Amino acid sequence: MSEMPGGGGGLVEHVTCLGCGCSCDDIAVAVRDGRIAEARGACPLGVSWFGDGRAPAIARARASTVTVDAALDAAATLLDQARRALVFLSLDISCETQRAAVEVADTLHAVVDGVSSSTVAAGILAAQRRGRVSATLGEIRNRADCIVFWGTDPAERYPRYASRYAPEPAGLFVPDGRRSRRLVSVDVGDARGPSDADMRIRVRADQELDAIAALRAAVAGRALGGAQLGGLADLARTLTAARYAVIVYDAEPGTLPNEPARAESLTALGQQLNAVTRASVTPLRAGGNRVGAESVLTWQTGYPMTVDFSRGFPRFRPDDGARALVASGAVDAVLLVGRALGIPFAIDAVPSIAIGPAASETPCEVAIDTGVAGIHERGTAFRMDDVPLPLRAPVPGPTVAADVVRALAQRIGTRRARRS
Amino acid sequence: MTDRLRITGGAVYDPANGVDGDVRDVCVEDGRIVASLPGDAPRLDAHGMVVMPGGIDVHAHIAASSVNQARRILSDERTRDPVSPPALLDAVARSGTGGTVPTTFTTGYRYAGLGYTTVFDAAVAPAGARDTHAQLDDTPIIDAGFFVLMGNDAYLLRQVAAGERERARDYAAWLLGATGAYAIKVVNPGGIEAWKRNVRAVTSIDEALGMPGVTPRAIMETLADAANGLALPHPVHIHCNNLGLPGNVTTTLDSMRALSGRRAHFTHVQFHAYAGGNGKPWASGAKELIAYINTHQEVTADVGQVMLGHATTVTADGAVEYLLHASSGRRWVNVDVELETGCGIVPYEYRDAAAVASLQWVVGLELFLLSEDPWRVVLSTDHPNGGVFTSYPELIRLLMDRAYRDERLKAVNHKLLAGSALADGLSREYTLREIAIITRAGPARQLGLTDKGHLGAGADADITIYARDSDIAVMFATPRYVIKGGVLVVEEGQLRRAPPTHRMHVRPPYDDAVMRDLSAWFDRYATIALANYPVAPPRDAPVPLGASA
Repeated sequence: MSEMPGGGGGLVEHVTCLGCGCSCDDIAVAVRDGRIAEARGACPLGVSWFGDGRAPAIARARASTVTVDAALDAAATLLDQARRALVFLSLDISCETQRAAVEVADTLHAVVDGVSSSTVAAGILAAQRRGRVSATLGEIRNRADCIVFWGTDPAERYPRYASRYAPEPAGLFVPDGRRSRRLVSVDVGDARGPSDADMRIRVRADQELDAIAALRAAVAGRALGGAQLGGLADLARTLTAARYAVIVYDAEPGTLPNEPARAESLTALGQQLNAVTRASVTPLRAGGNRVGAESVLTWQTGYPMTVDFSRGFPRFRPDDGARALVASGAVDAVLLVGRALGIPFAIDAVPSIAIGPAASETPCEVAIDTGVAGIHERGTAFRMDDVPLPLRAPVPGPTVAADVVRALAQRIGTRRARRS
Repeated sequence: MTDRLRITGGAVYDPANGVDGDVRDVCVEDGRIVASLPGDAPRLDAHGMVVMPGGIDVHAHIAASSVNQARRILSDERTRDPVSPPALLDAVARSGTGGTVPTTFTTGYRYAGLGYTTVFDAAVAPAGARDTHAQLDDTPIIDAGFFVLMGNDAYLLRQVAAGERERARDYAAWLLGATGAYAIKVVNPGGIEAWKRNVRAVTSIDEALGMPGVTPRAIMETLADAANGLALPHPVHIHCNNLGLPGNVTTTLDSMRALSGRRAHFTHVQFHAYAGGNGKPWASGAKELIAYINTHQEVTADVGQVMLGHATTVTADGAVEYLLHASSGRRWVNVDVELETGCGIVPYEYRDAAAVASLQWVVGLELFLLSEDPWRVVLSTDHPNGGVFTSYPELIRLLMDRAYRDERLKAVNHKLLAGSALADGLSREYTLREIAIITRAGPARQLGLTDKGHLGAGADADITIYARDSDIAVMFATPRYVIKGGVLVVEEGQLRRAPPTHRMHVRPPYDDAVMRDLSAWFDRYATIALANYPVAPPRDAPVPLGASA
């Protein structure tokens, strides 16, 4: 029941996994000799995310191993001398670390960005134009009697989605679980939904937006033209006949065909459905607390990604994300906070600092290894549906990322204050 | 930093202690008001100025998950309102953006800049409490707390259905402590859960909603009794059914009568005070509603004034927002929150050319001007729903300056104002004492905050000092000095310091038996482990409960 961090062993229960955006918080981590022996209840993705809990604990400045303090001094100097720095919020850091990193960017008049700008920007911009109709995962679990997986089989990248959220679990208003729900697969091009769907519609990749428009028309009671849309008329009837319909799609790139207008079109469909019945459109999001970065950026700056502080206040620059800034040479220093995985630019293109898990394995000039949020560090992370969850620390690790970034913020703040 | 300070020569408005504009010293030591100080204590000259306790907002939306959802979609308006960091002497100053839903740092700075030192977020989903604490940690200067949403909670509704009112009280007590909340909030009792089942209107407070015995009346009674039985400092905080609909004053009066004799707070009553409906045009129901409030001491209220201009409607009351979206065609966010509550957002503009917006503006002013007890009917705009908190000075001017008010009245749409008391002429002008009550002393008393809202010995040294100005709005928009917890945060009109903030929360006792039942409920229906549900307890001690607990 209780946590047993430190060098010993034991079982740490109710651990939150950040292996994907499901953020399952029911993992029991068996610890032996300060290492993870087993992540009970985790899916293969989760097991791989937890690993064995080993983490390098090196602080490095250029080629030399130094103390964390010395590395922080080197980092502060590099950032302080930069004309225009980029602070990049990467994966596996807590919201506490993200908050401190945005403070660093604000103080430096830097640009701050995260993984969202190169993955889900279209959906973020669509929400700004149109809003969204959504539900938290628990609402879907307990209420959705019709679930449409839009070109998405959650089994692939969100392995426990089906068993924890939908369609499998019995819920308050769907007492027979899977049997209480109509499961629909809309296959978009080669992107297939679940194989055991009760209803299957095929949509050509180049006709996806037309199909959504047709569904909107049908939901609004307008006649559908063209026999090829026949299956969609059935789907429209299924959606409007549902008590609570949910359309689920994978917002992360890689499986569905690239279609920037998908999020906005589906949102429009969801909004239209709510004139008739209740409905939600919910994107699937990947792990590492990337959703938390959007939340933190939003409450501190007003914008969920790509914020430029160069004028001393936040400006939203969705067209000038991290990838473009580094590629064009517009930044002369990078502070990477988090794991150096899936970052949309070459980290060795400009002088850089890495603070995060296995930072010392990057080519950055300055590197400070920290623990992984949720494995070695406590804190807060957001699930894919913006629900905040606590992180536990089943095994001991290197320096805590939030402490390191706060110390960096303090050093930079002191230098700036001395000059002003 | 000032450990000691004597504020001299100002006209002090401290209604809780019967001080009404008397010129006297106010002494501060170690963050609190003290009766006296040695003669050599540092002085702050307030001659010719007005001294009041720091402002207290009993109902605003500043740090909920829903608020952050609103921020996300408002990129257009915040682009027009960038905020550079203030020149702080004692803390890292942060930039931000404003608009109708400012970022957290900007929210704290702007409230403090207005002389407000305490703010309550009025609607937090239990599952989002951790988010709210984090946002409040990034909201500087102002002390804060929040009300946790319970009036559509599936577990609670089942206790109501089963007649298990004691277990409902135990659950409420647990949930308050688990989320670090200050009070129980009810939004559209039963109506949000009904909206999730596509039931969009609640016709009466005796309508059974989904389960036998689960009526708005039963929900309100259960939670009012829970709050009073636990002796919470603030009673149940109710947003009635049928917000914003013509004819809803009947529902509001029925709700108040249902809780007759029970202490209860009814919020943003302006949005619940419309006559008409059923084919008849909208009209003001303010006279009827305020007559009831005036004669029922157990009722407290905040007005929820509509201010003409831009706003963002953000509420747990999802059904209302659908209607607003459908009728206005504006952007719309809906988030249904797992078995707890909902969330709806629509950016909005109250235009003086619009008949309904003009009526809403008038109804709020009528409630203020016909209220006989400023202690029980206090100032709010339901920020950012009726207007942004930075419009409070303008609202104060409307209340204090009849000539200005009449001028503004001429400019609004009169189509729905037939029979309106304000249109017929209301001469009342609020006094500074009454303003001090509706913005400080009254909210403090309603909230059960004994250390705030007054300047007696022992109170928190939260003090606002205004230079008089012929334009009341200017006076209240730009205090000369603001002191928070004894620290001078605004000096000569400039924000200079950001001292640590405090979180106000309660931790009432409950019978542990509820946990066995709740554990089974979580196992069956929740997506968050019961062990992971409670937030880390705030570092401040809980606010004590009343004597009857």
